[in-house]
Amino acid sequence: MEGRPLEDTELVERTKQGDVNAYAELVARYQEVAFRVAYQIAGLEADAEEAAQEAFIKAYYALGRFRPGAPWRPWLLRIVANEARNRRSASARRTGLALRAAEARASGDTALSPEVLVQARAQRAELLDAIHQLAEPDQLALTYRYFLDLSEEEMAAALDCARGTVKSRLSRALGRLREVMGVVQHG
Amino acid sequence: MVDEKDLEQRLGDLRPYLAYPPTPNLVGAVRARLVTAPRRPWWSSFVIPRRLALAAAAVLIVIGGLLAIPQTRDTIAHWFGVKGVIVNTVPSLPAGPLGQSLRLGQRTTLAGAQAGARFQVLVPTDPSLGQPDEVYLNDTMPGGEVSFVYRTRPDLPTSSKTTVAILVMEIQGGVNKNFFGKMIGPDTTLTEVTVNGGPGYWIEGSPHVFFFTDAQGAVRDEDMRLATNTLLWQQGDRTLRIEGAATRAQALQIAASMQ
Repeated sequence: MEGRPLEDTELVERTKQGDVNAYAELVARYQEVAFRVAYQIAGLEADAEEAAQEAFIKAYYALGRFRPGAPWRPWLLRIVANEARNRRSASARRTGLALRAAEARASGDTALSPEVLVQARAQRAELLDAIHQLAEPDQLALTYRYFLDLSEEEMAAALDCARGTVKSRLSRALGRLREVMGVVQHG
Repeated sequence: MVDEKDLEQRLGDLRPYLAYPPTPNLVGAVRARLVTAPRRPWWSSFVIPRRLALAAAAVLIVIGGLLAIPQTRDTIAHWFGVKGVIVNTVPSLPAGPLGQSLRLGQRTTLAGAQAGARFQVLVPTDPSLGQPDEVYLNDTMPGGEVSFVYRTRPDLPTSSKTTVAILVMEIQGGVNKNFFGKMIGPDTTLTEVTVNGGPGYWIEGSPHVFFFTDAQGAVRDEDMRLATNTLLWQQGDRTLRIEGAATRAQALQIAASMQ
């Protein structure tokens, strides 16, 4: 496959024609978001990897049900989320999201003073702690939207809810986060 | 206290600081599983011989990695007798897509195949075959893949479930890339043979699966075709195979006629 990158819909159609290389391109393109969505649900790295891999296999065999021209990513993420939920173990200890080590800080910080850096890091830790205190549905809504940058349609697929309820779920999650953090309300 | 206006901004800003586990590379594993179990209708079962697929993928990845080392590659080639060819034995095989498209690439002429392939194409001259009924070029394969199709006729019956009696396929197999894997089921026998002075295999029995991977461990799709008796050998810079021959003698006769 040379020249311009193929659109998802083109890759899906090629896959339906038997081109496994086209499907490999789709896997390469979306394995990160698939793995991270699975990780948010399953909570364990090994479960997330297995769920994501199984989801790609099932999506491949289910392509006959995929509506031509429809966006592929939400469809995939619905399967990923289902696989991850199936692998959740109530007894397993989940590892929540953590902050990166100091040396992995984002670009741009280097111009700031050490005091500001320390303060910023404390604020990030505070925010992440507050997220961890939320109920799981609220955590998922926030992480899908703000950390994985999922669209409304993709969030609906991953949360297994109607698209029309995504905004209200996100709004509720933000409200609870404000409560936990003691946010100053305006007006 | 946090200002409400800033909360969403702070959530967005947090993103690059989060430590997700590194994303595993799923491409090879997924591809290997698809290759060992070709796409089925969506209404069919989702159950996949996963343990088998994972074992096959592990074998491919390990050997593929070893083949990246020239000395090791040559040693492995010596073990198996054919440079670039690996034969693996597995306990069972996925169902084959017999009766479906053979997926040989684009239909072309002999001249078109010769012009499109980046290797010298050999053509069977055995009078029992005559001219190929159809010629195909698969240009998605490195160097191209050329196929000659001989349809079933009274003097050329088929042992497969397709209307194809004999299928001759050629693919480029250089020293710096690829090996060519073949999964052999328990009901299949494997015999080492000499073909045109070079090493090869006569594989007889139940349907089997072709696939191969490159030195980096990337597995390429090479679906089952006739999935009947197969003669597989290395000749020059190519790997060739003849599928569908009723007997080893017939396959060797066809191979010997290739020019």
